[in-house]
Amino acid sequence: MKFLSKFLIAIVVLLSVTNSFTQISKAEIVATGLTCSMCSNAINKQLKKLPEVENVAIDLNTNTFTISLKKNNNISPKILKESVQKAGFFVGSMIVTMDFENQRIDDNFKIKKDNLNLIFIDTNSKTLNGLAKFKVLDKGYLVMKDFKKNLKNYSKYASYNLDNEDDYHLKPI
Amino acid sequence: MKYLFIIFLVSFRLSAQELFVMTEPASNMPTGSIGTRLSQSLMKEKFESGYNYHIVPEIMYGASKSLMLHASAFVSNRNTSLVVEGGSFYGKYRVFSVDDIHSHFRIAVYGRASFNNSDIHQEEIETMGHNSGFETGLVATQLINKLAISSSVSFEKALDNTSKNPFPDSQSNSATNYTLSFGKLVYPKVYTSLKQTNINLMLEFIGQKLNQNSKSFLDVVPSIQFIINSQARIDFAYRQQIYSNMLRTAPNGIYLKLEYTFFNVGN
Repeated sequence: MKFLSKFLIAIVVLLSVTNSFTQISKAEIVATGLTCSMCSNAINKQLKKLPEVENVAIDLNTNTFTISLKKNNNISPKILKESVQKAGFFVGSMIVTMDFENQRIDDNFKIKKDNLNLIFIDTNSKTLNGLAKFKVLDKGYLVMKDFKKNLKNYSKYASYNLDNEDDYHLKPI
Repeated sequence: MKYLFIIFLVSFRLSAQELFVMTEPASNMPTGSIGTRLSQSLMKEKFESGYNYHIVPEIMYGASKSLMLHASAFVSNRNTSLVVEGGSFYGKYRVFSVDDIHSHFRIAVYGRASFNNSDIHQEEIETMGHNSGFETGLVATQLINKLAISSSVSFEKALDNTSKNPFPDSQSNSATNYTLSFGKLVYPKVYTSLKQTNINLMLEFIGQKLNQNSKSFLDVVPSIQFIINSQARIDFAYRQQIYSNMLRTAPNGIYLKLEYTFFNVGN
């Protein structure tokens, strides 16, 4: 019995270290400041250049780019953001889809994977299993006035104000 | 009809969206893209018969998200046959940008250095194809939904074109330029694909004031623009002088610009 409980503890510890988050499988980006198809095409070409990107679907009327990402990619939201900026535009909103396996999260729960620090905020405690969508709330991933509003609303999350580019504050949606 | 419109259908660049015909917006072209542009103008000579025909091949490069560079060559029929008269280098740096979902406001600074060996035949200073010299300025562009408004102010200085064609001492060798441009997307109302042709209507005002003698002119340039396959651009424009109290030899005429963008070439 003692062995079993140690074993269980070991598994729990192991899970919390490696954790069950795998990768970003999809990202939906609304780009800002553009109203012409040539501009959308510029972003489209920049995104398609990324080796992690499998396909880009565009809604030209809403400037929404739905990016399907290859399996086992190691992409970060920052790389996608920089692609949009290289085309000459900015990210107005970014929603990422990630795959989880029985991952318990609480408000202000942190997961570290490689260079990504995922911090779940504005959420109840829950268990993530399968595909889940999150809105990225950091500076550069939403329009400036929304970010300024968030700075006030999310002042209780110490890391939110730090503007560390490897921290991603994610709100489940 | 010596100069029928000879159109070489090698076409040219693209940039962001306020793709004005006569002026550059504060937005830049995408990083790593190369744009090619062929600008042609056919201006009616005021004091003699015939037309002044200029061709300006231009290559543009998006060096970073903030910086773009152009290099141009100037070809004209000033000396009866088409001759390369000079060239210019241009750089534009975006210094400020506020973007919202369907709008943005941007400011950029720019500079141009030009050389030209043709004779100096007018008081107007134009470093795009007539004068050796330089120009430096500031441009601000506001985009709201399908309407773009852009305005610039610049300082332009003319130097001697060559030792044989010096800048006349009697004329003002520097000028202040002003532009105000409006561009509106008129088609399509609803986008269905990147292949769809876009049509923009533009109205631009171009003014110059000579710094030493306060002589000035103001021109209006209406134009229509077709953007094809989200990659190529064809512009037709007509330039008409509204007023002027300086010597200009060929102020009125038509423009045809062809442009094609190669995305993600460098970088």
